[in-house]
Amino acid sequence: MINIKAEFFQGTQGKLFRLIRRPKHVQAHVLYLSPLFEQANQTRHMFTRSALNIYTQGLESIIFDHYGTGDSEGELTQASLTLWQQDIIAQLNEIKERSALPIILSISLSAALLLTHEILALTDGMILVQAEFNGKRFVQQFKRLALAAQLNKPAVKDPLFHNDELAIAGYVMKSQLLSQLSEQKIEKLSTIKQACCWFEWQATKSDLSPARAKLYQRFKEVLASENSPCHFYAIEDVKYWQSTEFEIAKQYLLDELHGLTTLLPAINGGTIGSITGSSSGVNKC
Amino acid sequence: MNLVQTVQQLISILTDVIPNYEDDFWSADTELFGAIAEFDSMAIVTIIGEIEEQFDVTFDDDDISAEHFSTVASLADLVFKYSR
Repeated sequence: MINIKAEFFQGTQGKLFRLIRRPKHVQAHVLYLSPLFEQANQTRHMFTRSALNIYTQGLESIIFDHYGTGDSEGELTQASLTLWQQDIIAQLNEIKERSALPIILSISLSAALLLTHEILALTDGMILVQAEFNGKRFVQQFKRLALAAQLNKPAVKDPLFHNDELAIAGYVMKSQLLSQLSEQKIEKLSTIKQACCWFEWQATKSDLSPARAKLYQRFKEVLASENSPCHFYAIEDVKYWQSTEFEIAKQYLLDELHGLTTLLPAINGGTIGSITGSSSGVNKC
Repeated sequence: MNLVQTVQQLISILTDVIPNYEDDFWSADTELFGAIAEFDSMAIVTIIGEIEEQFDVTFDDDDISAEHFSTVASLADLVFKYSR
């Protein structure tokens, strides 16, 4: 039986809803950072699958809702990028207070826009799942939702803005939040020292798309040294966060376990217990 | 990449985003906006993102129109215009 606990964690401005799955013998902690807005809904089912996946290997998972989202306290209009980042730091500090075991961040899609030096300094490794580090592009895509929603309606001058608030696809927020997000870019993380696994969806035998290849190259450039290994996994599976149907990326779940078999020894110098996993395709960068 | 290849790649994107149709449903003449229930604003933006990544193009926001998204062929014309 899975040992799962639902709780409210006292964040910076309010209580954050969390689900913690803690196995009997914990080898490491994995804090899942939810991506933003609709992506949170599109990825939650895979977070659950992933958490169950790693539970079997002795990894504690913590899944939480950002302030003003999901079942956490507050309204999205009260949220800011800085507040979300402070909440992540508070949770990392809480883990460190109770455990000396490694802490791994699981970062999917737009959750990468939440990263800061301070957050990374408190962690030992990263799992990057189709990470989006380009804040400008993410915000542009998000704003396009409002434009697309207007396709079959009479033209409305600037439908997005109401005073200093935006309403896009049912999400109402301060315009400042999107401004902050749009300024996020990988160059702000100039010294990534954590071991990491990068999971990238691509068809077999095909190259990365130009945009993704450029992003990955930039990421490799900001890796601090050879002491911060990054393992690249090409995932040939459904892009579950894009599909209009409920989908499970089974290959990702398999490769995620394999990734952890490489990540934890890299963090611990081989002192961690064994995790079993196999992979279909991995390259070290 | 010619127009036929553009259509094929677009259909590949469409089947990934909207998987609940048989392969023979999709062709250059397949109607999109207003004809497929799943072709909502979220799907449109997802498809735009995939097109921009795979074709290495950048759409203008003014391109988000019912005209351009009426059929696979009209969307292919738009992509082809940018990728030439």
